[in-house]
Amino acid sequence: MEERDLHVRNHVYRRFVELGRAPTFAELQGELVADVEGALLRLQDAHALVLEPDRLEIRMANPFSAVPTPYLVEADGRSWYGNCAWDAFGIPAALHVDGHISSTCPDCGEPIEIDIREKKPMPDEHVFHVVVPAEHWWDDIVFT
Amino acid sequence: MNLFRSEEHLRRWLEQNGDEPGATMTARKLGDLANAWWSDRLAPGWRPHTRDENQKILEGLGLTDSFWQLP
Repeated sequence: MEERDLHVRNHVYRRFVELGRAPTFAELQGELVADVEGALLRLQDAHALVLEPDRLEIRMANPFSAVPTPYLVEADGRSWYGNCAWDAFGIPAALHVDGHISSTCPDCGEPIEIDIREKKPMPDEHVFHVVVPAEHWWDDIVFT
Repeated sequence: MNLFRSEEHLRRWLEQNGDEPGATMTARKLGDLANAWWSDRLAPGWRPHTRDENQKILEGLGLTDSFWQLP
């Protein structure tokens, strides 16, 4: 990955953390002296982020989701959505802070509330399930 | 990649959706996996993990069967 693309990628992540949402394409163009379109497309090809299928807007900067999901994460006085349970756990991990995950059981719809304290979930008896084998995660990352 | 209240809830959900079981782990292990996988994501000097680096993370948590083999 070239330095010019790393610069755009790091800016996207920094803004995602600051804003609690994905920076828009227009915002990135205003904030960066760079070929933003080219960089975003190359970063997507490198699996460094995921764009919406029909426009140059960010859908995922894993572990952060640009759209609401069943995995709301509160940490450091702000909130974000994780793309999935793994990513929800990944947000406090990436921020290096404690946090709280709010979700619902896909089976019964009952709330699932988990605190992350010093990198450990409390409670910790919930069951994490992965449908897609690792070989195929990026075949359709939104489904995965 | 979902989180369920228990194995019983997962089994029922799989039956209702007609899906085959994939891989499961406890939330505690998921926490360990998330920390190993994501902890450098916001570091200023971040570089993309190689395929082998990611595979080592999985192996380090005992995720060694064919389900966890990256392409």
